[in-house]
Amino acid sequence: MATVVEAHVDTQIDPITTEIIRSAFTAAADEMNATLIRSAYTPVIYEMKDCSVALLDSEHHVLGQSAGLPIFLGNLEICTRLTEEMYGRDIWQPGDIWIMNDSYLTGTHLNDMTVFGPIFYDGELAGFAASRAHWLDVGAKDPGGPMDSTSIYQEGIRLGPTKVVAGGIQRPDVTDLLGRNSRFSYPAIGDLGAQIACARTGQDRLAAIIDRYGAGTIASAKEAIFAQTERFERAAVAAIPDGIYRAQGCLDNDGNSEEPCWVRLTVEIRDDEMTIDLSETDDARGGPVNCGEAQAISACRVAYKLLINPHNPPNGGGFRPLTVKVRAGSMLGAREPFPCQWYFSQLGLLIDLVVKALADVMPEQAAAASYGDSMVISLSGIDHRTGQSWLDLEPTVGGWGAWDGSDGESGLINNVNGSLKDLTIEVLETKYPMRMTHYGYRTDSGGPGKWRGGNGIIREYTLDGEEAVLFLWFERSKTPGWGLFGGKEATPPVVVLNPGREDERRMLKCSRVALKRGDVVRTMTGGGGGFGDPAERDPEAVREDVRNRHVSPQAAREVYGVDVRRKSGVGSRT
Amino acid sequence: MSRYRVSMDIGGTFTDVVAYDEATGKYVAGKASTTPHDLTEGVFAALDQVVASPAEIGFTVHGTTQGLNAFLQRRGEKILLLATQGAGDIYHIARGNRLRLYDIHYRKPQPLVPRGDIVEIGGRLNYAGEELEPLDENAIRASARRVKDEGFGAIAVAFLFSYLNPAHELRAGEILAEELNGVSVSLSHRVAREWREYERTSSAVVDAYIAPVVRRYLERLETEMQSRGLSVPLHVMQSSGGIVTAQSARDLSLQTLLSGPVGGTMGGAALARLLDRPNLICIDMGGTSFDVSLVVDGKPDVASETTFEGFPLLMSVVNIHTIGAGGGSLAYSEAGGLRVGPQSAGADPGPASYGRGGDRPTVTDANLVLGRVDPAAFAGGRMTLDREAAERAVGTLATELGLGAVALAEGICDVINAKMAQAIRTLTVEKGIEPRDFALVAFGGAGPMHAVFLARELGIREVIVPPFPGAFSAWGMLETEIRKDFSRTYYTPLSALDHADLARTLGELEREGFTSLEDEGITRATGRVAHAVDVRYVGQEYTLTIPLASATEPREPNFDKAVADRFHAAHDTRFGHANPGAPVEFVVVRSMALGDLGRIDPVRQNGGSDASFPSTTAEVTFGRRAQPTTMMQRADLPVGSEIDGPAIVSEPTATTVVPPGATLRVDPFGSLVIAAGKEL
Repeated sequence: MATVVEAHVDTQIDPITTEIIRSAFTAAADEMNATLIRSAYTPVIYEMKDCSVALLDSEHHVLGQSAGLPIFLGNLEICTRLTEEMYGRDIWQPGDIWIMNDSYLTGTHLNDMTVFGPIFYDGELAGFAASRAHWLDVGAKDPGGPMDSTSIYQEGIRLGPTKVVAGGIQRPDVTDLLGRNSRFSYPAIGDLGAQIACARTGQDRLAAIIDRYGAGTIASAKEAIFAQTERFERAAVAAIPDGIYRAQGCLDNDGNSEEPCWVRLTVEIRDDEMTIDLSETDDARGGPVNCGEAQAISACRVAYKLLINPHNPPNGGGFRPLTVKVRAGSMLGAREPFPCQWYFSQLGLLIDLVVKALADVMPEQAAAASYGDSMVISLSGIDHRTGQSWLDLEPTVGGWGAWDGSDGESGLINNVNGSLKDLTIEVLETKYPMRMTHYGYRTDSGGPGKWRGGNGIIREYTLDGEEAVLFLWFERSKTPGWGLFGGKEATPPVVVLNPGREDERRMLKCSRVALKRGDVVRTMTGGGGGFGDPAERDPEAVREDVRNRHVSPQAAREVYGVDVRRKSGVGSRT
Repeated sequence: MSRYRVSMDIGGTFTDVVAYDEATGKYVAGKASTTPHDLTEGVFAALDQVVASPAEIGFTVHGTTQGLNAFLQRRGEKILLLATQGAGDIYHIARGNRLRLYDIHYRKPQPLVPRGDIVEIGGRLNYAGEELEPLDENAIRASARRVKDEGFGAIAVAFLFSYLNPAHELRAGEILAEELNGVSVSLSHRVAREWREYERTSSAVVDAYIAPVVRRYLERLETEMQSRGLSVPLHVMQSSGGIVTAQSARDLSLQTLLSGPVGGTMGGAALARLLDRPNLICIDMGGTSFDVSLVVDGKPDVASETTFEGFPLLMSVVNIHTIGAGGGSLAYSEAGGLRVGPQSAGADPGPASYGRGGDRPTVTDANLVLGRVDPAAFAGGRMTLDREAAERAVGTLATELGLGAVALAEGICDVINAKMAQAIRTLTVEKGIEPRDFALVAFGGAGPMHAVFLARELGIREVIVPPFPGAFSAWGMLETEIRKDFSRTYYTPLSALDHADLARTLGELEREGFTSLEDEGITRATGRVAHAVDVRYVGQEYTLTIPLASATEPREPNFDKAVADRFHAAHDTRFGHANPGAPVEFVVVRSMALGDLGRIDPVRQNGGSDASFPSTTAEVTFGRRAQPTTMMQRADLPVGSEIDGPAIVSEPTATTVVPPGATLRVDPFGSLVIAAGKEL
C-alpha cells in the first residue's frame, strides 16, 4: 500500500531547521542508549538490549526514543506523567532522578526498572530523560522471578515513584534498599548507575540542543515534527477500509491452572482513527500472566507501528490516531494483588492478534502468526566439576509466520524479546555440566502455505552433573502460529523429558522438577503460520524444501501434492 | 635497482597506484580505470604512469577487493560444509537474533551454504577437548565423493570444540586431501581458533567462499608482475591493517576480505606519527557510504571480531563504521518535512547532475548548486556534471517545501552534515571518547567537501586533508608492517590460573609467530611477537583485550594483580566504571607477530620565499548568501601557504571546501591543515 500524503507546508519554521532538530532529538536518544549500554553491568541489558530510553518534552511527549525493546514502546512517558499526577508538577526539582517499577503503574513485571529525571533549562522545566531496563533479580520468591506466583507480593520489591538522586546526589538509603532486595546486588547497583548516567546524558543533550537553537525554535520545530508524524500516520490509517475487525486467541493457561486465558480484541477503523478495544479479554488470572494497562497500550502501539509506520523513529506525534480501551480488572488491566511476572506472554499474542484482525484489509503488511512466546527453560544445580552453583536461563527461538511474497523465518527469537542471541553449545557445555546432544530445525513444524511458515527448533539437553532442577515456561500449544488466506497453522511446541525411556514425560510448564545424571530434556518450539493455499506453492519450492529438509517427503506428498521421488517432470503434482 | 615502494588499490571504478621514490623522498600517484575483465590491465595502466619498470620496485603492497566483491555479489565458490552430528543447523539458526526490531517480515541474512549442502559428521569432543566419540572417517570419504559428483569448489569443516583439540578437523582435512585433488579446504580452527561454533563456522564458510577466487587472482597478478620484471614478493593488505606476502594470503583468504578500505585508517595512523597528532577521526565519504574509523594514541582501533553483511567473522579487523550517507544520498519530502538519506541514488542513475536519468536531488547536486564543486573537474575530470539538471532537481523539491532552491541546497548539506556528525558522536560515546580531543582526517572524493562542517558540529578544531585524498588507502598501505594474528581460547578464572601453563601456551604462540614471520622474510632481528589476553568480570559477556608485557610475564610475581589492574583501568576508560576487587576471568589469549619493513621518511618541504599562487574568484553560497570565494588548484599551492575561507581547493580526486571563518595552511608534508574556526 502506497501512503499518499497531501502536500503541506509548515510556515512557522523552515523545514531544514526542523529536520536538523528532528535528527538531533533522535541522536540524543541514541546517545542516551549508548551511555546505558556502555555502562550496564548485566548482559541482559548490554547484550540482549532488554532496555529502552526516551527523551520527553515538559508535557511528556516523546522527542526521541531509541529502538530498544519493542514492548517498552511509548510507555516511558507514563512514568513521568503518573508521578506528576500523584505529587503535582512542583515535585520536579533540578538534579533529581526517580525510579519506579510497580507493575500496575508501569505495566511490566517488577524486574523492569524505570529511571527518569526532569530536565531544567534556565530554571524552567524543559523535559524529561527516562530509561527502562531489566534487572536480573529484584528479590522474588525464586531467583530471577517465579513461574508460579499467585500474587505480586511473591514477585519482588515494589516501588512507586521514588527519588533515588536528590539535588544531584545519589541517595545512599534508597541505593542500599535496592541492593538489599536483590540476590545479585552488585550488578543491580551497577545497572542503577548506568540508568542514572543515561538520564544525565539526556539532560545534557537536551540542554545542548536548546542552547544551540533556542527554546522558541525548538518549540516550533517540535510542533512541526509531531504534525509531520501525525499526518503520515493518519494518511496510513485512512487508507485502511473503515470497519470493525476482530480476532481472539488464548494462552494455554496461567501457570497455576489448566484453564486457557483468552485475549479478545476488536480493531475499529473510522476515517483516520484506529481504536483497539481489549475489553472482552478474560478477567485477571491467579497465575502470573497479567499486566498493568500501560503495558497493554504499549503492545497495541507495537502492533500499530509494525503496520502503520515501521521505518521512522517514534515521537510525540506518533500514535495520535490510536485509541486503546482496556477493561480495568482484566488480564490486561490487572489490579493489586494479581501476579504479573510473565506479563509478556499475552502481549506477544496480543500483537499477533492485532495483525490478524487487520490482515484482510492490510494483506501486504500482514504476516501469519509466529511461534509466539519466549519458551523459557531454566536449569540449575551444583557443578560437580567445580563445586559451584550454576543457573542456565534461556529463551528459545522458533518459527515466524509467512507473508505475501516470502516464507517465514525459521529459528528466530520471538517478537517481545530484544536482539537476543541463543547460547552456543561450546559456551553452554563449558559453563554448565550439560551436553547439548542436538540443536536443529524441526522439520514440518512451520504451517504449510503458498508461502511456508518458518520452522521451530529442537534443542536437547543431557545432564552430566549429578542433579539439577528444571523450570519450564512453554506456551501457545492451544493457539499455535495460525495461517492467513488459506495458509495452514503451525505445529505447537512440545517438551519431552527422557524421550523413549520408561519415565518419559511431556510437559510445557513446570517448576522445580528434579533431574538426575543422564536425564534428557528435549524442547521443541512451534513454527510460524503459512500464507495462502498450500496447493498454490511452486512445486519447485517444495522440492527445494525437501532437499533442505525443511519439509519431509511425506508432507510434500500429502500436504502439497508434490512427489519428490520422481526425478523427471519437475513441477508435477501427484 | 630498488628505487620505489609501490602500493596498488583496486576500487570498483578506479585503480590507484601510489609510489614513494626513495631517490627524491617524494610520492607520486597514478590512476586508471578499473578493468573488471582482467584487473591486472588496470593495475599496469596505473603503474606505468609512476614507475618505468617493475624491476625498479623494491617493495610492493596490494589491497585487493577480489574476495570482498565475490562476497558482496554472491559470486563465491559453491561450498560443502561439514559439521558435527546433531549441530548441522548451527550455521542456519545463526544464533536466532534479529537485527531489526519492528519488522514482522524479518529474514536473516541469506546463508552462503544452503541447508542441503551441510553434512553432519559423527565424532564428538567434550568441553575439555576430550574425545567422546571417534570421527566417522567413512562419512568424510562419502562427502569427498559428493564433492566430486556435484562439483563443489570448496569445503568448510567446522566441528565442535576444534579450538581445543583440532584432531578431528585435521584428520578430515587429510582425508579430503587424499580423496580430492586441489579442492580448497577451510578448517575452522585454522581460520579462527576461538570458541563459539556459529561465529567460527561463519568465519570458515566465508574463507571457503572467497578462497579460490582470491588464490587464482593473486597467483595471476604475481606471475604477471614477475614476468614484467618484479623481483620482490608481492605483499597483500589484511583486514587487520597489517600486511603479509601473497603466498600467506593465499593460505588464509579471509584476512584479505577488507583489504581495501582499511588502508585509509592505516594512512591515518601514519599521519598521526608524521604530524604528531595521536588522536584522529578518519572519515571517508564516497558516493553511497560514509566510513568512520579511529586512531587513538597513534594506534588504529582494531577489534578481534566483526559482523560483516550480517555474518560474524572472528578475525582481527580495523573497526570501520559505515553510515548510509554520501554524495548520492537522496533528498525528498515526507509528510511536509525534508528528509536526506539514507536512501541513495547510487551510481546508477546517480545524482541528477550525472545526466543518467536521475531526477531526484542528491547531496552532490546540492553541492553543485551552491558552487562548491567544479562541474568540469568531477572525478578527476573523467565526468562532467550537469549543473542545470541539479538546479532543476533541487528546484522541484524546493517548490514543494516552500523554499528557494539555493536555500534548500544548503539545507540538504546542513542536514546530511548534522546526521554524519551525530553518527560520529554516538560512536565516540560508545567508545568513551570525547571528539573535541581529536583532529578530523578527511579523504575519499566527498570527505574534504564536508569535513570542516562536521568538525564544527563536533567541536573539533582541526581538519587534515592528506595528499592524494582520493588515493589515501593506497598511500596508507605503504605505511604499515607485516602482521599475523594467532589466538587460543583460554577460559579460566584468574584466581585458578595455572601460570606455568599460560606461559607455556604463550611460548608456543611466540614460536609459531616467529616461524610464520620467517615465511614473510622477517628475521628475529626485525620481527617481534606481542601478546594480549581477553579479560572480563566473571558473569560478563563482553571482554577487553589487555596487553601482556611478554610471553613470560605470567611467571612474574604479582602477575595476577598487574593484569587485573590493567583490566580495571581499561574497563574504566571504555565503560565509565570499574570494580577493583571483583573476580575476573580470562577468555582468549592473542598473539600478534609483527615484522618491521622499514619506515618511510618523507622529505620535509620548506616553503619558498614566493608564497603566491594562481587563483580565480567565483560566487559560492555559504550561510544562505553568495560570497566571493578563492578557487585554486591544490598542485599550485606552495608549502606554507595560508588561505582564509571562503576558498575551494580542487585536485583531480577531491574538492576541499574551506568555508568562511576557517583557515587553510599547507604543511611541510603537503597536507592541507584547516583550522575549523567558527561559522561567520
